Amino acid sequence: MPTLTIDGRPVEVEKGTTLLEAAQKLGVYIPRYCYHPKLSISGNCRMCLVEVEKAPKLVTACSTEAAEGMSVKTTSDKVKAARRDVLEYLLINHPLDCPICDQAGECGLQDYYMEYSLAKSRFGQADKVRRQKRRALGPHLVLDNERCILCTRCVRFCSEVTKTSELDVMGRGDHSHIDLKEGKALDNGYSLNIADICPVGAWTSRDFRFKQRVWFLKKTPTICLGCATGCLVEAHHNENTIYRLVPRPNPETNTWLCDHGRLTYKAVQAGDRLTKGVIKNGLIDFEPALREAAARIDEARGAGAVAVLGSPWLSIEDNAALARLAKDALKTENYCFDFNFEQGIKDGILINKDSAPNANGTKLVKAAHGGLSLEELSRRITSGQIKVLLVEARAAGLIKDAVKAASPKLIVFAANRGEIPAGAYDTLPYASYFETPGTFINYQGLRRRTEPSVEAPEGVKPLWTVVNKLAAYSGTSLRLDSAEDALKGIDLK
Amino acid sequence: MENILLKDKVVEIEAYFAAGGYKPLKKALGLKPAEVIDEVKKSNLRGRGGAGFPCGLKWSFIPKDAEGPRYLVCNADEGEPGTFKDRELILKNPHALIEGMAIAAYAIGAGHAYIYIRGEFAAEAELLDKSIAAARAKGFIGRNILGSGFNFEIFTHRGAGAYICGEETALLESLEGFKGQPRLKPPFPAVKGLFGCPTVINNVETLAAVPAIISNGGDWYAAIGNGKSAGTKLFCVSGPVNKPGVYELPLGVTFRDLLEKSCGGLKPGKRLKAVIPGGSSTPVLTAEEAWAVKLDYESLAAAGSMLGSGAVIVIDESQCMVKLLQVLAHFYHHESCGQCTPCREGCGWIEKIMNRFEEGRAERKDIDTLYSVAEGMMGRTICPLADAMAMPVMSFVKKFRAEFEAHADGKTCAKAR
Repeated sequence: MPTLTIDGRPVEVEKGTTLLEAAQKLGVYIPRYCYHPKLSISGNCRMCLVEVEKAPKLVTACSTEAAEGMSVKTTSDKVKAARRDVLEYLLINHPLDCPICDQAGECGLQDYYMEYSLAKSRFGQADKVRRQKRRALGPHLVLDNERCILCTRCVRFCSEVTKTSELDVMGRGDHSHIDLKEGKALDNGYSLNIADICPVGAWTSRDFRFKQRVWFLKKTPTICLGCATGCLVEAHHNENTIYRLVPRPNPETNTWLCDHGRLTYKAVQAGDRLTKGVIKNGLIDFEPALREAAARIDEARGAGAVAVLGSPWLSIEDNAALARLAKDALKTENYCFDFNFEQGIKDGILINKDSAPNANGTKLVKAAHGGLSLEELSRRITSGQIKVLLVEARAAGLIKDAVKAASPKLIVFAANRGEIPAGAYDTLPYASYFETPGTFINYQGLRRRTEPSVEAPEGVKPLWTVVNKLAAYSGTSLRLDSAEDALKGIDLK
Repeated sequence: MENILLKDKVVEIEAYFAAGGYKPLKKALGLKPAEVIDEVKKSNLRGRGGAGFPCGLKWSFIPKDAEGPRYLVCNADEGEPGTFKDRELILKNPHALIEGMAIAAYAIGAGHAYIYIRGEFAAEAELLDKSIAAARAKGFIGRNILGSGFNFEIFTHRGAGAYICGEETALLESLEGFKGQPRLKPPFPAVKGLFGCPTVINNVETLAAVPAIISNGGDWYAAIGNGKSAGTKLFCVSGPVNKPGVYELPLGVTFRDLLEKSCGGLKPGKRLKAVIPGGSSTPVLTAEEAWAVKLDYESLAAAGSMLGSGAVIVIDESQCMVKLLQVLAHFYHHESCGQCTPCREGCGWIEKIMNRFEEGRAERKDIDTLYSVAEGMMGRTICPLADAMAMPVMSFVKKFRAEFEAHADGKTCAKAR
């Protein structure tokens, strides 16, 4: 455990800790471009040069290991001069097209220039090295080689994280540039992380670019519901529109985000987003759709022919509300919260074998409220005993053979029209988890909540509210005034 | 004194053997590896590639307890402008290199060695291959060499034309089949070198000196030369001299003796203006400084330059220093690998400024910009290529500022036009 001093302050660190990490421990920020905590050390940008007493030259903080008794200076004149010089070198061939650059506002060159340089250019504009601009690479990214500072984070990401090695630095000297290797395509399922880790405007997201200036964005921490991994993310939004999701790096679950998960937000604002009910194929206002559902339920419940299927795609609160509906309002035993899927990371990075985000959360609902096994519910549907089935759209896929065999009337909860299963009778819209809070338990057993970043479309309510109203139509109050009310009786541990 | 390295008529193995060759190898194999290293340490032999690092010390850095293979690599990439000594040495005395490598490999425990030879040296590589085959046929390379139980193989590998591959870690990258770019150090090659194994990399001239050291003893070698700068050095002299070429002389020889006694002086009518004493990357000396200097590690360092590779570039009064620096700037700009920011961007910037001077577009303030761009590159990169660009720039500007000013003021090159 070496002890060293950084800017005169002592700090004890684990053996093998670099100066950059040791400084971080003290809250001393050392500027860097090529360094990324989850990628190998490259040491090429030279932005993190610091002064170490008795060392003949400045050293890179990203690669130099802390040693006993070291005295490190991060703000000496020598260090400041080095930072200024490196920034000057980086900017001489940079196009300085900030006004039309999507990175502006979150650009490492802009930020460090303001913080560490503010020098006037001594370089003749006419002499700049020109490189290829705005080239679409892969389905998700655009590359502008003129803005690139050749930190090689993207190259290392593709070789070390996705291990697909699509990218490399081609050429030499100041005509070096990033390019695809021959025969490769940049479509590795994680490519949008490249836009995140690119410290400048070289890599931008085709989905996000030119949609919004970043300084207008508000940031809401939430979770990704793209699969059972349950990555922590941040939703970036403005004026009730989400513009992008970015990962919230954390030691438990994720540093990165897969492209699929990152684009899940799009469903919330998609053209097929349901703001009304659907009966057969026709749109209808929510209230009449709800009344129709209640009427069909009422018809069938006397004969014990109503069933409720929970969903691993819904929050614990919404599942619990469904359980209460079945148990307390419909007073049926035909309900099921039994979802046992194989879970685990299937690609060695983030994507889970289980594509549903909350199978583990439904287990708590089952523990509190009981219910049938999925097989038993399927059997009862197939037998024709069930005439009306309340089901979340995607969960309907889990019993699709039974539904096909017996054709019960499906009362479906769906957020997007595209989700509605074939043969649905009456569909009720509900608020997505970007619009309402919900509790989920990921494959690691970690309980996490979504944080709403935008408001649901007018008239669209959280699912537990819809359930509460259905219960009221059937003559029972579930007394659900908030999502938390639904959690009563559930042991969240 | 008699040459140690550059000998005549020893190219064929029989002739080399008849002259006492491969006896040092036999002697070395009778010693413990540590004793061989001690002998080389005692000799004060220092790296002849340019950095001048003590050779025996470098060998001793190989971790004693390291498991797995170790490698010896001979750097024959000779790319420093002005340098043409290794080529001459290989052509004249290939077996001294091969024998030196066998001894070095034995000392560090390496079973395999590579000679990374500059791509343009086709004939030299061919000669080495032939010589290696001859040494193998005589049992100096191969399994159980001279009954000692020591197994050793040498392979030649031709480079593909990049100056940067003369930098030892870029050389290793290239040898492994990757793009030749210097590695971040530490770890140093002695710990993690070729294929991730402990590796010693020595220059051709360094390794070729080893047999004589083993044969005659470290003390004998240490007594040659000038104190800490022991032994002989190959000096490659270019420029307007009567007999340019490669000369083997004891370190500490004066520039004056090298020029006047060995090279037959300057060509008629020429007056000395400047000397680049150790290859194009070393700081330039004025005529006055050059006349007074001894050519060895310490004396040249004291004069503000370096012994480098021993490439002595003689510059006479008819030459334009600005034009010369433009040529060098073009070279280093072209050869920068592009990995580190200061070198990638700085070398290009310097060439652009030099072009302005040569094309009559420069102003006086460009002189200071030029100097500070170079200063900003010094010591801030992974490898010394940035320094190799910065050192000539800074020394040219410092010592020949008037010529730069004349270019800026007159917008023309008075000497060249």
